[in-house]
Amino acid sequence: MSDIAVRVEGLGKKYLIGKQRHATIGERFRSIWAKSDHVDESEFWALKDVSFEIKKGEAVGIIGKNGAGKSTLLKVLSKITHPTTGRFEMEGRVSSLLEVGTGFHPELTGRENIFLNGTILGMSRSEIKSKFDEIVAFSGVEKFIDTPVKHYSSGMYVRLAFSVAAHLEPEILIIDEVLAVGDAEFQKKCLGKMDEVAKQGRTVIFVSHNIGAVRNLCSEGLLIEEGELSLKANVDNIISKYQNNFKIDRNQRVDFSSRIGKGDIRVNQIEIFDKKNKLTGKVYVGSDLEIKLGISIEEKVTYKSRVIVGIYDHIGVSCARFDSDVSGDSIDIVRDCSLKCQTQPIYLSPGNYSINIALYGNGVMQDYISNVVSLEVKNDDFFETGKFFEDNMTRIWLRNQWSIEDEVQG
Amino acid sequence: MKTIVDASKKGISLDLKELIRYKDLFLILAYRDFRVRYAQTYLGFIWAFLQPLATLTIFTLVFGKAAKIDTGDIPYPVFAVVGMSAWTYFSFVMSQAGSSIIGAQGMIKKIYFPRLVIPLGKAFVGLIDYAIVFSILVGIMIYFQYPISSNIIFLPVFFLANIMSALAFGIWFSTLTIRYRDFKHIIPFTVQFGLYLTPIAYPADLLVERIPEWAAVIYYLNPVAGIVEGFRFSILGTPFTNWYALISFGIMLIIFVTGLFYFKKMERVMADIV
Repeated sequence: MSDIAVRVEGLGKKYLIGKQRHATIGERFRSIWAKSDHVDESEFWALKDVSFEIKKGEAVGIIGKNGAGKSTLLKVLSKITHPTTGRFEMEGRVSSLLEVGTGFHPELTGRENIFLNGTILGMSRSEIKSKFDEIVAFSGVEKFIDTPVKHYSSGMYVRLAFSVAAHLEPEILIIDEVLAVGDAEFQKKCLGKMDEVAKQGRTVIFVSHNIGAVRNLCSEGLLIEEGELSLKANVDNIISKYQNNFKIDRNQRVDFSSRIGKGDIRVNQIEIFDKKNKLTGKVYVGSDLEIKLGISIEEKVTYKSRVIVGIYDHIGVSCARFDSDVSGDSIDIVRDCSLKCQTQPIYLSPGNYSINIALYGNGVMQDYISNVVSLEVKNDDFFETGKFFEDNMTRIWLRNQWSIEDEVQG
Repeated sequence: MKTIVDASKKGISLDLKELIRYKDLFLILAYRDFRVRYAQTYLGFIWAFLQPLATLTIFTLVFGKAAKIDTGDIPYPVFAVVGMSAWTYFSFVMSQAGSSIIGAQGMIKKIYFPRLVIPLGKAFVGLIDYAIVFSILVGIMIYFQYPISSNIIFLPVFFLANIMSALAFGIWFSTLTIRYRDFKHIIPFTVQFGLYLTPIAYPADLLVERIPEWAAVIYYLNPVAGIVEGFRFSILGTPFTNWYALISFGIMLIIFVTGLFYFKKMERVMADIV
């Protein structure tokens, strides 16, 4: 195990979902009475047979969709929860950062919280003492170090909390992307510090949705899908596999599973197509879109409705919105019907996008479905030069012409 | 340093070495509890004295003056304060440790440390309360010029029994509360009834003479009853006649150790169900 820092073998974690087992003693007794120990119970494997090795000094990014098991893997590796199957070994001092400021108490001063939080993170008292001045300087809250942190602004609070974490010196660092919250400046500082840690030859395990951050920080990647390790490889391969999956997975499939809302009126069908080319789910850059929604209604009363369709890119950035309220279209729904939305040409760069729908009736959210269907934007020699931009190079494509306006004299 | 986690290993070890490595965490958590307890109060630390003094005054008025409970040669306040010193520690540590895991769920879900640090740490915090009541005790004994018994050398034994029994209840409660929130309500209930079911404000003989023998046995099996009598034996020199107490100390030891193992077993899933 000389150059291996982390070795994971057949790791699995099972949760029982549905009704929680015997939340009260009464239920416990009732279940004895009924001679059954599990009511309404089903198993859910958040992690299944995950095995991998991480070499010393490697920075590994764990990528996967929400609910794929990334956080569970992190929790198991951090020893917060025990695995159901399998084993893992780690060589060296481990620190895990799933949030900053764990254990911070609002009534205690900044100074006291540094000691409290540092100890919780696994530093010894003498270690904190020797780094104390550095931590305070990094946080920039010197003036308030003897003030209870409840009087801190949220920015000061986070800075202090992060500077404690930043002064950990583990050999293996397990870190969650939730760290990268806060303002942009703080995020930069946070990522910068992680980069520094990674470059010092420490082993880093980093979970994120943020593809850019993973690409910058990590050399290796793990792709987790539905609790299983789907691939461990070079980080660029992992990212492209992840993005391809995004393509295949969402393509053409209408998925109403993530629906919330009151439900008196609902969207039961959705079709998006390129008006000129009559392709469903695929459009060319610069074409007009047509969106058709099938609407079903519970009771035959009039719903003054507002419908919103949003287009999101693969990292969840909203790229376009078609909102009947903003466009000033009044829509009264009285019976089952279909709605049509006609757009002007869209100039989104080629790639895969997902669609969210929201439907309001009489001021109440009736139906909200995220990732209901995917939209593929394609390029068909948009610039008419045979040339084009690579994926993700820019978000919007606009035809343009360059020329010399005026020759500058001499 | 090497970390090994293996799901197929079912054995539970207390891993005392690891607990010792986390000694700084014990101390800082105890410090936090102590600091936070009287934060933003006007009287601050004075409260720590006022509470036992008020209880003692009420006991003296109700049991000493009104009910005229016979405590022999011992002035009533001296008699009561010795009982209170044991009970204050027991009830504080039991209830604090009992609710400690639920109270620390934010930490438990975000970081690893041996979870036993949390309830065990409460035994440290309780020492401060114990010191306060003890200083009141010394003050009262000086006031009444009551001499300290030479049995005082036995006090550490009963004091250890006091810590152990408080933790035995506290650790069981802390683990059970995670699964069954009912115990959140059982804890204050235990504190309230225990105060009267333990010979703190009155001598045990007074009650035992008037109840059937089987009830007396049950009464004496209350470990704190034995501890309170032990405190009086050690400090005031009253005879120690309650031999059932020794049995109850034995039972306590078993409850304490099983509590530790049950806690360690539940530790693995604490973050999932808390």
